Amino acid sequence: MTLRLPRVVSDIPEAPALQATPPVEIIALNRMAYGPRPGDVERVQAMGLTAYVDEQLNPSANPADDSTCTERLNAARLRITYTRSDGTRVDEMRPLRTITENWNLEQLYAIRQQNGNEHARPIEEVRAATWIRAIYSKWQLREVLVEFWHNHFNVDSQRDLGSGARISTTWPLYDAIMRRHALGNFRAFLEDVAQSIAMLIYLDNATSRDGPANENYARELFELHGMGASNYLNDLYDRWRDVPGATATPPAPVGYIDQDVYEAARAFTGWTLEMGQTIVSNQRLPDTGKFAYVERWHDNAQKRVLATEFDSNRPAMEDGRRVFDLIAAHPGTARFICEKLCRRLVSDTPPQALVERAAAAWLAAKDAPDQIKQVVRLILLSPEFAATWGAKVKRPFDMMAAFLRATSADVTPNSNLFSAVAAMGYTHFTWAPPTGLPEAGSYWLSTAFMLRRWNTLLGLFGNNSGGYATFALQGQIPAGVTSSRQIVEFWVNRLLGRPAEATTLNRLLDFMRQNQPADAPPTGTAADITSRINNLVALIGMSPEFQQK
Amino acid sequence: MTLSRREFLVGCSAAIAALAGSRVTNLVFANPADTTARDILVVVFLRGGCDGLNLVAPTGDRNYADARPVVRVPNSGSGAGISINNAIAPVDFRLHPRAASLKELYDSRNLAIVHACGLTNDTRSHFDAMDYMEAGLNDDKNSNGWLVRHLNSISASGIMPAVSALGSVPKSLRGSSQALSINDVNNFRLQGNSTTYTNQQQEALRAMYAAAGSPIHQVGLSTLDAINTVNSKIARDSQNRPLPYTPEAGAVYPTQYGTSLGNALRIVAQLIKMDVGLQVATVDYGGWDTHGDQNRFFGNLVEGLALAMHAFYNDMNRYASRLTVAVVSEFGRRLKENQSAGTDHGHGNVMFVMGGYVNGGKMYGSWPGLATEQLDNRVDLAITTDYRAVLAEILSQRLANPNVAEVFPRFSVPAQPLDIVRATNGQPNPPARPMQPAPAPGNSRIFLPLVRR
Repeated sequence: MTLRLPRVVSDIPEAPALQATPPVEIIALNRMAYGPRPGDVERVQAMGLTAYVDEQLNPSANPADDSTCTERLNAARLRITYTRSDGTRVDEMRPLRTITENWNLEQLYAIRQQNGNEHARPIEEVRAATWIRAIYSKWQLREVLVEFWHNHFNVDSQRDLGSGARISTTWPLYDAIMRRHALGNFRAFLEDVAQSIAMLIYLDNATSRDGPANENYARELFELHGMGASNYLNDLYDRWRDVPGATATPPAPVGYIDQDVYEAARAFTGWTLEMGQTIVSNQRLPDTGKFAYVERWHDNAQKRVLATEFDSNRPAMEDGRRVFDLIAAHPGTARFICEKLCRRLVSDTPPQALVERAAAAWLAAKDAPDQIKQVVRLILLSPEFAATWGAKVKRPFDMMAAFLRATSADVTPNSNLFSAVAAMGYTHFTWAPPTGLPEAGSYWLSTAFMLRRWNTLLGLFGNNSGGYATFALQGQIPAGVTSSRQIVEFWVNRLLGRPAEATTLNRLLDFMRQNQPADAPPTGTAADITSRINNLVALIGMSPEFQQK
Repeated sequence: MTLSRREFLVGCSAAIAALAGSRVTNLVFANPADTTARDILVVVFLRGGCDGLNLVAPTGDRNYADARPVVRVPNSGSGAGISINNAIAPVDFRLHPRAASLKELYDSRNLAIVHACGLTNDTRSHFDAMDYMEAGLNDDKNSNGWLVRHLNSISASGIMPAVSALGSVPKSLRGSSQALSINDVNNFRLQGNSTTYTNQQQEALRAMYAAAGSPIHQVGLSTLDAINTVNSKIARDSQNRPLPYTPEAGAVYPTQYGTSLGNALRIVAQLIKMDVGLQVATVDYGGWDTHGDQNRFFGNLVEGLALAMHAFYNDMNRYASRLTVAVVSEFGRRLKENQSAGTDHGHGNVMFVMGGYVNGGKMYGSWPGLATEQLDNRVDLAITTDYRAVLAEILSQRLANPNVAEVFPRFSVPAQPLDIVRATNGQPNPPARPMQPAPAPGNSRIFLPLVRR
């Protein structure tokens, strides 16, 4: 017998090896959608990539045009259980009311007055709705981009649970901002995010006042929302005028330093929320959760951001808005965000030529209401998009959504589904640092997370299925598909949309046929064959091929 | 050929016996050529920028009190800090009042404090600073991790040399195919719904993931190897079920604050006692980015840190003579508090080193002072000790690494050693508190009885 010796130390290459490229509809359905549902591949093949991209870039605002998804949202019930202070129990299968009834700020904010166990409910409803849309909505690209922007403008929705619960109770409003601007204009997006309850509390600007200002929001505005760490030059320059380009006319500094962060933090002093704070002894803000600008808390002296002078005593909010103008128009922002979009839609190591073309389009469209749409279109119709495959790992949310879509599962999201992906690292809306869930595979590829992927898929067909998905796999097998080989090929095609590697295919076939001929129908009791098909489909989901996109 | 699970178990035990040579009762370093005794290094990363000025507070410095009317450790009255001996300056330094367990470790000489320490790169970005620090470089945040270079430079081998006790692998270990993550030892196996099919699926996975060399394939194979190792080494009851892990010496991991850190350290303890050849382990403890209302969060975080470290050290008392723990954070926080009763990103910070051959009970480094002209950029605690000086000393003194320059290229180890740790000579430090008798050695015995031929 052979001993299995420890593998030799070798450094893992940063970029995954590229695989042979599958047809473009497979690429598109995996990267601008959450994987193909039965029939999708044929549909996209027939209409062509350009028509599909244009369809997806123009989602209808009418819920009736997305009837399956709308019905699912209306029919969804999510359990809530807790004990009231008087000892009585709440145990309801409750609809996703904050979503389906479009609750407004006043309604959501009032949840804060209810039992503390209700305070996280709006987050759960957005989570459930997000899963339903990812699995059933026609407008897949919009969902992919909403997920992208949620992570770009990351907020930990549970940050103030137990201490105000303003973020958690109004979470549907933050989600709505992501949806409103997902294909829109970045400058407008920035300002809506800055004035949101979620961001004002999460990055502390709601409490920032003159002397000294709170720098948290301003710092992440530069580093994470706008220009990116690659344009943070603090290790090179201490003074704004030393940054190359700073003293040009008009000023065009190539990057930002801490002085810009300090000054921008001053620009945002006084941007806050109505939370019942005292302004002066006899003057209080109401507690409504509405955005407020409090002149008294604003640092009105002159400032200099990105080498640009701001005069003193400017009109309300002008300082903050000028910071947005400067950041949104900066070429560094264009490159940083376009690189992120390419990393999401194309490859963990996106081709630089594509990033540059996207950044140029981004700047050219900086005042257009559909700026983001124009750039996403350029990326999806680029030769690089269709020529790249396997340079990304499906994140747990994609992986599960893709599996549930490909198998036509009947899905009713519940907390077991939420915790299943959390255990694979995908803490949905609760990623604590402001970076957002990582995009690159290096985070997701770990032994603990891989094991969770495998066990979750195996578990779907066992006694601890989690109760969020039911499957009728055998009923989906067409009449002519009878032999073990045909069954394996049918499900490989369904899940991967392309042939598997020879080893994978042979192993799947060995599993299905159980030492019987491959070209004969599988043998065994009916229950055993059902179990084997379930376990076969789980195993395809566990294969290396299924983790790539 | 394909090994069945049973064949693997048998093979594995033979391999372990062979690799361990005559030292089967000792910790197994599975490289047969490598008989060097090395400490196990555990790196605790406090993510978010821990406020070192409130963790080990210069309460006697007038500038500290002036800059922090609200966010400070008082030196008298209720909530006063805990005085410590052997400070680095003629200033009253106090541990945060919720850090009583650290004081016990300090007084028993198992814990050393380095102040005004950190990453000298000027960045105030968390993510940049963590990347630089985990790379162990001041000028390249995209390099492989410093722990990876350590493992490579000692040609580490063995079944499980490096483990992250989290779901993911931190950047300090990223880039090594040897780095595993294990966040639940007792359930680290394929959990299918039929033993026969699950075993077949596991074999199928091995073939599929061995068929190519992409990172996905590599991690899949590592996962399968780790499943085999864990399940061959875990202590089992008479019915062959994995035994729940019981900490030793009455150690109680925290249950209110710091539970994530406690759970992670518990996993490290369990793996060390399973003799899987662990050499470096990493754990994270997040939540230190206290820009607002700091007093409400900071004490809880400190208590969690103190209790978890204390529990881990007690639990590991039999291993104290070959264990070193280093606690780092990406940067400290601004001296002056902001109007949100919080502190913004700063520079210099505190660092802890814990272990049986740590010259503890003492503060290290040199105190730069807190007057405006003594501060970095006139606002932040200056750095007088590069964090790598501490790590380098641990690597050379305790981890027998003769090539520290390979781990920290372009960094000059100071000519004058800090003497935070000493070589294994004479007795290790006494335990932090009297230990209960060690339990039966069932948890720590080398795997052998499991082999059934």
